[in-house]
This record gives sequence, C-alpha cells and structure tokens, in this order.
Amino acid sequence: MKLNHSYNKFILIKLILIFFFVDVIASELIDEKVKKLTLELRCMTCQNQSIYDSEADFSNDIKKIVRKKFQEGKSEKEIKDFLTNRYGEYILFKPLLNYKNLFLWAFPFILLVFSLFFFIYRIRKR
Amino acid sequence: MSSLVGFISLSLAIGINFFLLFSYFFLKNKNYNFNLIVRLSSVLTLISFFSLMFSYVTSDFSNFNVFQNSHSNKPLIYKISGTWGNHEGSMLLWISILSIYGFLFSITKVADLKFKQLTLVIQSSLHILFGLFIVFTSNPFLVNSVIVKEGLGLNPILQDPGLAIHPPVLYAGYVGYSIIFSLAIAGLLNKNNDDEWLYIAKKWSLISWTFLTGGIALGSYWAYYELGWGGWWFWDPVENISLMPWITGLALVHSLLMIRGEQILKKWIIFLSILCFSLSIFGTFLVRSGILTSVHSFAADASRGLFILLIFFIITGFGFLVFLLRTPENSKPINLLFVNKVSALVINNVLMIITTLTILLGTIYPIIIEVITNDRISVGGPYFNSTVIPIMMPGFLLMSVAPVLSWQTNRLRNAKLYVLGFMIISVVVLIQSYFTTFNTWGVLGLILGVWIIVASIISIFSSYKIKFSYKMLQKINPHIAHIGVGIAIVGITCSSVFKEEYDYNINEGDKFRIKNTFITFQKVETTNEANFQALRANFLIKKDEKLVANIRAGKNYYPVSKMITSEAGIFHEWFRDIYFIVGDQKDNNWFIKIYINPFVSFIWLGVLIMVLSGFIGVTKK
Amino acid sequence: MRKLIILTPLVILFIISIFLLIYLLSNKDPNKPPSVLLNKNVPNFESNSLYNPKIYINYEKVKNKKVLINFFASWCLPCKVEHPLFFELSKRYPDLFILGFNHKDKIEDAKKYLLEDGNPYNFVGVDKDGMIALEFGVFGLPETFLINENGKIIYKFMGPLTKEIILNEIEPLL
Repeated sequence: MKLNHSYNKFILIKLILIFFFVDVIASELIDEKVKKLTLELRCMTCQNQSIYDSEADFSNDIKKIVRKKFQEGKSEKEIKDFLTNRYGEYILFKPLLNYKNLFLWAFPFILLVFSLFFFIYRIRKR
Repeated sequence: MSSLVGFISLSLAIGINFFLLFSYFFLKNKNYNFNLIVRLSSVLTLISFFSLMFSYVTSDFSNFNVFQNSHSNKPLIYKISGTWGNHEGSMLLWISILSIYGFLFSITKVADLKFKQLTLVIQSSLHILFGLFIVFTSNPFLVNSVIVKEGLGLNPILQDPGLAIHPPVLYAGYVGYSIIFSLAIAGLLNKNNDDEWLYIAKKWSLISWTFLTGGIALGSYWAYYELGWGGWWFWDPVENISLMPWITGLALVHSLLMIRGEQILKKWIIFLSILCFSLSIFGTFLVRSGILTSVHSFAADASRGLFILLIFFIITGFGFLVFLLRTPENSKPINLLFVNKVSALVINNVLMIITTLTILLGTIYPIIIEVITNDRISVGGPYFNSTVIPIMMPGFLLMSVAPVLSWQTNRLRNAKLYVLGFMIISVVVLIQSYFTTFNTWGVLGLILGVWIIVASIISIFSSYKIKFSYKMLQKINPHIAHIGVGIAIVGITCSSVFKEEYDYNINEGDKFRIKNTFITFQKVETTNEANFQALRANFLIKKDEKLVANIRAGKNYYPVSKMITSEAGIFHEWFRDIYFIVGDQKDNNWFIKIYINPFVSFIWLGVLIMVLSGFIGVTKK
Repeated sequence: MRKLIILTPLVILFIISIFLLIYLLSNKDPNKPPSVLLNKNVPNFESNSLYNPKIYINYEKVKNKKVLINFFASWCLPCKVEHPLFFELSKRYPDLFILGFNHKDKIEDAKKYLLEDGNPYNFVGVDKDGMIALEFGVFGLPETFLINENGKIIYKFMGPLTKEIILNEIEPLL
C-alpha cells in the first residue's frame, strides 16, 4: 500500500503550475482523498492531532463517515460543509477562505508584495 | 525546611533587586559595587532553585508542589528533572537562568561603566517582574496542608530523558534574549551614545539563538519518539511560539554580523532585540494561560494568565516606547544595491519578519475571531505549510550565495560556477524524481537543500586556501552553518514528502517485508518496571539474510497516574528511520503501524551542525 | 512618517493585548469550543427505545415542548456524576421532556446502569453507532442540549452538569 502522492508525467505543465501554487491532482483513489481530507481535520478529542494521525474513537468514526461520503460520490466541499455544520469550523485545520478569514489568508501576501515594492522603490531611488 | 530556605532566598533576591533599582534612581551617592549586588541576587536565586530541587530529590512531600508532581519510587533523574516538570518549578528555572545571564554579564568586561550599570538595572527589573509573578501566582514553596507519605506522581510523558534537557536548553535560549533586551534599552537610554553595546550583543545573541536552536530541536526529537505520531513537527501552538523568537533571533544574529562591515542597521537591530525577548515572553504567556490547546498541557489559571499578560505588556510596551522616544539616527544610509551583501541581508531579514508575523497571526487569529464572532476556528498545519514555506523559499535560495556577495558592488565572484551548479542540481533532481515519485514540494525542497550545500562548498573552496586549523574553521564558520541548514532542509523535505506508512494486523511470529527489509514480529512481553508496567513487542529486522537489529516498541502503563503512553520503536539508519507503533490487540491480532521516514537523521545532523557552528561563532573575536 | 512606522509595534502590542485580555476575562475554555448548533433548529433524529425496539422517537413526537437531550453511556464516568441531577430536574419541572440518548453502549450494560442508578429520562433512545451524536456535533460524553417549543437549540453544555449550572443557566430558560 503506497500512499504517496500520485505520479504525474506532465512535468512541464506541473512545473509551470508550481509557480502559481496550484495543486492539480486529476484522479485520486478514494483512499488518497480520504487521507488528504482527514489530514486537514482536527480530532476534537485529542490535543492538536489530525483525524488521520489519530486512532481515537472519534477519529475512527469520522474516517468512516468521510470514506462513506466519498463512496457516495460526495465532493470534498460537501463533506467539509457536512462536518462544519455539526462541529463548527473548529474541525478544519485549514481555515476556509471566507470573509472572516480573508485577513488571515491575505496578510502574508500583502506584506510580501508591499515589501517587494518598497525594496524596488529604495533601489530605484539610489 | 528546604522550602523555607528556598522561599526566603528567592524573596531576598527580589528584595536586593528592588534595592538596586531604587538606589539607581534615587540615591545620589553610588559608592557600592553594582556587580557584587547583582551576583548576590543571582546566587540567592540559584539557592532557591536548588532547594526546590533538594525537596524533589528527597521526596519531601511537605512541599505542596513536590506532593503534586512527584512520587517516591521514581528514578533519581526524573526526581531531579521533575523540578522543572511543572509550571511553578519551570518558572523558577526561568528566573534562575535569567539571573545566571545577569551574573555572567556582570563578570564580562564593559568599557562604559555607566552603561553596564544601566544594563544590570534593567536585567534586575526583569528579575523583579518574574520574581513577583512566581511569589504571587506560582509559588513552588507552598506547604502541604496535610501530612502525606506519598506524592501524586509526575505525568508519564515527562518521565523521559527529554524532560531533563529540553526545558533548560530551551529556556537558556528564551531567557538569553533578556540580556539583549537589557543591552538594547540601556544602549538607547545611555547618554554617551556609542555603539559598544552592539558588539557586546553580538555574542549574547549568538549564544541565545544557539541554545534556542538546540532546545527546539530537542523538543522536536522528543515529540518524534515519545508522542508516537510518526512525525517530528506538528505546527502545534507551542512549537509556533518557539519558532517566532527563533526566526527573529536568526534575523538579529545576521544583522549584528553586519557590524563588521561599515553598514550599521542600528534601528533595525534595536527593534529585533526588543522583539526577540517580547516574543519569548509572549510564548510563555500563551502556554501558561492555557488559552491554546496544545500537546503541552499546563493547568490553566486565569490569574496567572493575567499576570503574565501584564508582564508581557509592561516589558514590550516599555521597550517599544523607549525605542519610539529615543530613536537613534542612522549614522550612514545603507548601501542597497540589486544584489550585494546588504540587499541580500535586508531581503532575508524582511522575509524572516514576514514569516514571524504570519506565524504570529496564525497563532492568535482563532483568539481574535472567537472574541469578535464567538465562533471558534482552527489554524493548523495546512495554513502554515501553504504560507510560511513559500515565503521562506526565496530566502533559502539567497542564503546559499549571500556570504560571498560583495559589500559594494553588484558582482558575484564565480557567478558562472554557481549558475552551472544550480542548473546541474535542478536537472539531476528533476530526472531523479521523474523516474521515482514526483512531488512539487519534494523537488523544490531537494533542489534548495542540495543547492545550499553545494554553493556553500563552492564558496569555501573558491574563497579560502584550506588549512586544517581551528582558525580556518572560524573563518568558514558561516558556510558551515549554512551547510547545516541545507542538510536539515533535505531531511525535512524527504521525511515529510516521501514518508510512507504501512498498517498490519498480525500475530506473534508473523513475518512481513518492506522493500529489502524483512521484519519478524517476534513476541509480545509484559514486564513490571520500577514505576510502570511495560508492554513490548519485539521486532527482528533482517537485511540480506543477516540480522541487523532488534527493535522493541510498545506501551507503558503508569499505575500512579493511570495513564498509558505509547513507546515507539525506531530503527535508525543513515537514510531512513523505520518507526514502529504497537496498537491494540483484537482477536489475537495486533495492530502494528510502521512509518518509513526517509532522511530524518539529516534533520538532527543539520541542526547539530548549526548548533556547533553557533558555538564556534561565539568564540570568534 | 518615520515616527509613524516606529509607532506600529506599540499599536500592534495594544491590539493583541486587548484581545488577549478580553479572551482571558471571558472565561472561555479552550477544550470546549462553542457549539455551532446553538440557536439553530434541532437536527432530525429517529431512535428506538432502549427497552422496546418497536417503539421509536423522533422530534415530531415531542414538538411544542421543552426538551432536554442528554447523551450518556454506562462506560462514561462523568455521566454517573451528573446522573442524579436529572431526577431533581424532572421533579421540579414535570413539563420538561428529558430525552436520554445511550451512546455507543451495550444494551445490557445500559439497562443495568439505569437499573442501578435509576432512570430519570422520559425516554431512552439508543444511539448504537453514534450517528445521532454526530448530527448533534457531540464528541465527548456527557453532553446536554436544551430545545425550546419552536424546535430551536437554546442551550448546550459539554461535560458533567452541576447544581450551579442547572440553577444559573438552565432553569432561567425553563
């Protein structure tokens, strides 16, 4: 059982995409989908451990549910919605990109762009 | 008895520091010896610390703290380390290290005596603040109101050699920043405005940063083998808050190194000096107040949280206020070119600060959101991985050549050699990953890590004539440190991206195979140890028909605290670790989880090189 | 301008400290996240009686009443601690419908537990696979929900109830 990320022969395309930090993984097995999602979920009964890494009762239940939902053909977003409606956004280790979290996600990149412009401005000035 | 001695000497130490503070501002006649007073208070603080340790070693359960956190049938080493295995004791360790730094500073030579006095006064004020915190909210010398024969025992996870060394080393890092803070503030307040303190701060910042590096790595290694989660970094809040002062400290060390050149980024250095220590206190606050869930669980107590928040606010506010009111003028404008040493340094400093701010925001964002909207969110690993890593990557790219960039011009000597090296590495890594498993982050990390190592080696050989001597080692020290970083990056990348895991449900005597390694699940034994029951599964590891290792993994049951800890078994090889976790038994079969963690040892090796190089840097004139 | 830049650390310090202060003073427990179900409609549920698999309960059967839902199990020690409090509550508020959900338990153990400690519940539903708990976002036992006449969850508590909590937080809502 190899749970590594999938093969991808389209290296060129991938390389171009790297620079936009886009993850394109076309077709995954359900196992990998479950792994990817449960790695981003918090085990509510543990201390800061992901559901994937945890063997707690709660985690095993959620793993089962996630697997079942994927088998039913539900999308990752639908499953996340299902879980957040019950446990709150607290269960998501990766905060959703919504109004509330906009500042969280934008802040580092705003700072980065701002410093870049400032740096170029200073060099130009000399 | 020893509790009384401890409490009295701690109180005396605080009292002496009060006297020092009072006399500095209100007594005109200062014909007493500042250094001696500081040393006296340090010695008293240490007496206090050792008397607590004495209570632990002798299992003196009349001390409430010992009663709550110790047990008489613990091995001696855990009785000693149990001293700082609890909140009260660890704060006493904190203040002891604070006074050790004060002591060491009092015996170093400083030309400007007034400046030295001022630094010691500020250091003593810090001692007073933390001392009052201990006395009023976390007194480890409280008397147990009932007479008992036995203690409640130490948390089993802490009954580990890791506890003996991780906290002291980590605190030596955190608290080391206190002396830099004191130096910076004294430098700002000192009327005789010269830059002597910058040269003094250089050594202290390197010492603190080196200890902090070691402390974080030890904690990480401890988590790796003790938690049994198969990983070594979890973006746990406690890890994040140790990473923040580490990164700012790194920026500080590099900025201070620039003083050798003619450029002085004085304001920036002062800002970083204040920031490093305030982030250290901030970390303590977040852990001790219990407002974050993390693998470090401390008894939450709102009054403690409020007190540390106050200390954090006073110290940081005071620092930045002095900075605002007495901002120094830059003596010379900095010589910023497109690619020279200064611009490389500035870019890396900026990247490090952005990284720190991102980690800070991610760590406290859930608190802000909960206060505003009463919803709770999590900001975990996926957030930090997708922000921190891309931000740091250009910095890693730059650090490989930064030491050989010129101060004055845009030129890089042997530029062609570096470009060629980079291209060869990229092509080799790409081809290699094309034929194995391709992973974006894996490729980027490998290219960066190998590139840093190769470029540093090119720099060493193209810039110096190699002789084998300690002086030579001091000269090439920056490159050595960078090679350490490169090795660590290779380890970090491989172990996180190319990690594999295997699950088995097997019975004693079963054999299985992972690649070229044959593993026999031999038998499960239970034994009674001094203070726990151990369940151990024995694994025989065979390679090419030869027995290479015998790994034991399992669980411990601690009857005193009714806790089970998982004890991972790790088979270390140079290029991979085989990590065994024993799960539960079901219908005669055991659940066995095995991780193959490639190149994990590179992380520890890289960090070790960084730490050694840090100490070599301290010895440099 | 320069002074302004140097002022920013102080401003940030103030903002962070204020948020931390409010958080500290608001008595929030990091181990108990606020429920998202609060002030929302009660989720659909349907469950068999512990004592008779043919009898079942769903929200339709108890609507227009105040309902107290309590998740418990025989293996859960804190549940045993809060258990007696439900007798008092049902005595003082006879109109309150107390619904117990037996969470991931063996039927025999649950029956034995309720025989020994008494049965304060108006109905005991079986939640064998934990699917009802999932709908309520329950992840640790015990948990208690209060539902008003309109089918809205108006109160939720994680962990064992105490006399004080019932007196100060639940009774005012009844």
